[in-house]
Amino acid sequence: MHLLSITDLIVRFRTHDGTVHAVNGVSFDLDEGETLGLVGESGCGKSVTNLAVMRLLPKPAGKIEGGQVFFEGRDLLEIDESEMRDLRGREIAMIFQDPMTSLNPVLTIEEQMIETIRAHRKVTRKEARAKTLELLQMVGIPQPETRLRNFPHQFSGGMRQRVMIAMALALEPKLLIADEPTTALDVTIQAQVLDLLSRLAAELGTAVILITHDLGVVAGMTKRTNVMYAGFVVESATTGDLFARPRHPYTVGLLHSMPRLDAQPGEPLIPIEGTPPDLRFAPVGCPFAPRCAWRVDRCWTEMPTLDAIDPTPEIVTTGPGATHRVACWNPATPDEGVAAKPIRAGFVPAAPPAEAAS
Amino acid sequence: MTTPIEPGAAVTGAYSRPLLQVEDLRMYFPITSGTLISRHVGDVKAVDGVSLSIKKGETVGLVGESGCGKSTVGRTILRLYEPTGGRIVVDGQDITHAGGKQLRAARRQMQMIFQDPYASLNPRMTAAGIVSEPLEIHGVGEPRARRERVRDLLGIVGLDPDYGDRFPHEFSGGQRQRIGVARALALHPDLIVADEPISALDVSIQAQIINLLEKLQDEFKLTYLFIAHDLSVVRHISDRIAVMYLGRLVEVTTARALYERPLHPYTVALLSAVPIPDPVIENRRQRIILAGDVPSPSNPPSGCHFHTRCWLRTRLGNPERCVAEAPVLRTMGTGHEVACHFAEEVDGSPEQGLQVKGAGPAPTSATGGGSGSGSAAAGPVPGGAAVSAVNPPAAPPARSSRKRERS
Repeated sequence: MHLLSITDLIVRFRTHDGTVHAVNGVSFDLDEGETLGLVGESGCGKSVTNLAVMRLLPKPAGKIEGGQVFFEGRDLLEIDESEMRDLRGREIAMIFQDPMTSLNPVLTIEEQMIETIRAHRKVTRKEARAKTLELLQMVGIPQPETRLRNFPHQFSGGMRQRVMIAMALALEPKLLIADEPTTALDVTIQAQVLDLLSRLAAELGTAVILITHDLGVVAGMTKRTNVMYAGFVVESATTGDLFARPRHPYTVGLLHSMPRLDAQPGEPLIPIEGTPPDLRFAPVGCPFAPRCAWRVDRCWTEMPTLDAIDPTPEIVTTGPGATHRVACWNPATPDEGVAAKPIRAGFVPAAPPAEAAS
Repeated sequence: MTTPIEPGAAVTGAYSRPLLQVEDLRMYFPITSGTLISRHVGDVKAVDGVSLSIKKGETVGLVGESGCGKSTVGRTILRLYEPTGGRIVVDGQDITHAGGKQLRAARRQMQMIFQDPYASLNPRMTAAGIVSEPLEIHGVGEPRARRERVRDLLGIVGLDPDYGDRFPHEFSGGQRQRIGVARALALHPDLIVADEPISALDVSIQAQIINLLEKLQDEFKLTYLFIAHDLSVVRHISDRIAVMYLGRLVEVTTARALYERPLHPYTVALLSAVPIPDPVIENRRQRIILAGDVPSPSNPPSGCHFHTRCWLRTRLGNPERCVAEAPVLRTMGTGHEVACHFAEEVDGSPEQGLQVKGAGPAPTSATGGGSGSGSAAAGPVPGGAAVSAVNPPAAPPARSSRKRERS
């Protein structure tokens, strides 16, 4: 049994401007102690997927319209709110991009952390305080005795994120969801925080879902990666496999559009042309088709399912032997993944159906 | 602390005369206390003696962490602030304290591209209105000619000229940034200060804007001061790079030399911290994890601003000189300037090559010159507790506590 198993999750937002199709049938599994990266641009549904898992979607706009989320065999979408509240923090914890919005500004760190611990564990105030001290020490806050009595605004961004990590790990959850945990931090501070996060997760055996747009962070922090686009998982593989042999045109595009620190001078960037789709329209066909150099006729009308690249008797969804899967009618070949464009003789991207008809 | 830069220091660029020369630039923001009678109690020394020259056609990257003063440098150069001290010379003209007509004329030559394409465009103006505004302010051309010019500009930056009568909210982030670029180009400027022009954009859009800026530079012989925190991007676009820490430049050199032979301990740490999208490299890379946060610019550490977090100073047994004396930029090799008393110790040290190679399991094997730095890396570090990994007790005892293998 997997620790977390999401099947065909569909999330939509009802807004004044219409229905936003945020997550359009996402499925993935996660084992205990695994680190999974969710990569994609803003609006690709990576955060919404996880808010849905936590049942923290903004109400009443956000609604889970389909699918299942099993955590240790329990369907999180079926249990009642008090059970869910009990689970949050103790079994599944979450840290966000901006710790200032997730810490209570009018309570000291001590009060917040003790409250968190005592809400879930039958311990005395004194015991909870001792645990708090230990945690702050663990995440490398200098002089934890004095810092305990400080308010969140008295901490720097990096320190605040450490406090968040301490709080998230206070109850030794089985799953930690880290949503862009270092995006707001400077690069030297990012290195500190990521180092801390990966070390603690390994020590405690916590499974981690790391949500980020930074492929560099994914490469260093995760063992497995799902690439998301417009509410779909478009490619899923072990992190090593994904970076060595990217097959989905979007993944290929992402890898070539960011300058790398170790690139050869003068190496050109190959941008992905166009812009992400407007999610207020229900997806028709593959959402990446309008920007894709590999598109074929079918891409305009039918969304491909996430399938194994090479024929395999059985699809493995987790662990180091996870099957490399891609949702694409015409995936890039390994050579094309390097060239970042189709290199088959005479290949022309298919025109949209309307143009083809006229 | 004047550090004049010889005009010959720059290496690349098609032209030799500096378009922009900044000497010992200072920008202090006063801290006051009291409500009725405000007393001047101190200064935030956002820029504290920066000297920099940019030649025509060159791109200089200014890189540093938030709060280091890099944006203030850009804004002060454009005279959006009145500098506290120093000199700004654009195309031979001293504009340090220029005002009125002279300043307005100078600003035709220099334009800015801002970080946030949502905040830097007036939501009540159409795209054409925004792009046309600089032309109107400077009285360029007749209305009809202006309209033509605006259509041209929109086309140049890759927008449909017919979209001119749309409002900013009808455009995506990348398209808005293109409008910002078109506005900056309107007056045929020589110098463009781009302050984090891509960091608010989505990953797949960033490359579009970088490529656009590069194309425009070729087409219009533009000179860029490119301000950003992302070293990968800065390295990609720049001919030369200036690294800034707490209001001062710590290293200035070519993009290639900065990457291949960084000489300031801060630059070395910064390079080692940048993630590379390749799990094979990431898994064997080692990082220099700097302890602590960037100190406050209102109360910077004495001497070398970086001494409180410096890994090299710890290695060298915490020499007093770093605390007592502020290092000035000095030249080491062709056009390579560094502000560190002990930059020679960085050169050839195993840490210098950490940015990508990761030095493998035996970091000492990479040691080249650098008097005795190799043996210090393998053995226990004197006073290593002050500057070390995030959590000293957890550091592997066999290896220097400064470096942690990430896997």
